[in-house]
Amino acid sequence: MMTKQVRYEALVKALHGDLYRYAYWLCHEKQVAEDLVQETFLRAWRALDSLKDEKAAKSWLITILRRENARRFERKRFEMSEYEEANITDTQSVTTEQQLENHWLREKIAKLPPEYSEPLILQVLGGFSGEDIAAMLDLNKNTVMTRLFRARNQLKEALEAEPVKRGMYNG
Amino acid sequence: MDDLQFRRAIYADPNNQDADCIAAQQADPSKKQFAQDICQLDEKIMRALQVPVPEGLSEKLILRQTLASHQIHKRKKRVHLALAASVAIIGGLMLNFMQFSSAYTNLGDYALAHVYHEQGDFANNTSGQVTLASLNQKMAAFDGNFSKAFGKLISADYCRFDGMKSLHLVFQGKTSPVTVFVVPKDEQLRFSPTFNDKQLFGSSIEFKHSNIIVVADKNESLQQWQQNISETVTWSI
Repeated sequence: MMTKQVRYEALVKALHGDLYRYAYWLCHEKQVAEDLVQETFLRAWRALDSLKDEKAAKSWLITILRRENARRFERKRFEMSEYEEANITDTQSVTTEQQLENHWLREKIAKLPPEYSEPLILQVLGGFSGEDIAAMLDLNKNTVMTRLFRARNQLKEALEAEPVKRGMYNG
Repeated sequence: MDDLQFRRAIYADPNNQDADCIAAQQADPSKKQFAQDICQLDEKIMRALQVPVPEGLSEKLILRQTLASHQIHKRKKRVHLALAASVAIIGGLMLNFMQFSSAYTNLGDYALAHVYHEQGDFANNTSGQVTLASLNQKMAAFDGNFSKAFGKLISADYCRFDGMKSLHLVFQGKTSPVTVFVVPKDEQLRFSPTFNDKQLFGSSIEFKHSNIIVVADKNESLQQWQQNISETVTWSI
């Protein structure tokens, strides 16, 4: 019992940040993301004995979280409206150029179609390889690589099409 | 590796460590530049993705799990308690059943068992004798009366006959004591007119409210005893 508790706490401490960020980029709402993470970890606790390979913990948790997120859609489809752009911006006051750029890029990432943004988030944030992502999203690897390519391509184009802010940044 | 292939590979994974990719970068400075640009883009994306995690989220997660597992633990404890209670009740019932239900189904079996149980207590040649008066005093409890004495009465006492108050009479017999029970009628034990085992045999006489059972060894004439009893006993109701 005690070892399970210890294992669980270690899992929470090590991965709650990544999981929360992933949830946030999945649903674009802080509160919903937090609920998703709570639900995910509660399920993880119940099934902790089935987690044999600690190295696989992150992808295991992400799989649970994706399932939870899908369930959320089944449960309250009617509540799901187009997300407001206001929701995806963080409320921190935009002061430095760095933050300005982050803020701007966040909007761009949020505007990516989910099938592009999800692999990108998994790759950049989760540090997963193409194969891992393909397994998690139940896609083949070539599809994943194509989506990653398109995601970055779109972001880069958006970045280059923003001459005013780029100008500010540069000069 | 042509330019398009290279761009696709870098776009898909800027940290691509494929031998082809590395070779292409070393061969062509513009490709190297491109790869570096995309790496920078990735750093920016990385920074952008690092949304602040709510404070105390990990504590909340641990707390919620602790509470949830506590609930489960409590529920389990309740189930265990219920189980233990059920077992205790069943145990109690069984004990009750075994102790207070009769192990014998008819008068004969019980009478034999009773006699064997008390065999050592009565000797056939005991000098004492119970008078007819004191016998009738005891018989009054069963609304019965013996008109005259028959045989030598060694002992007359109330006893428990399968939980019922009954009169236990011991007469002197030819070789061993003859036991006579006066037992109120009861539903539990089946009336058995005659019964026997290797040593003893017995018979029951049925009256209106009571049964009189005679148990003796095989040297006695049960018929004689039955007759004596039937002739002398009278019932007031």
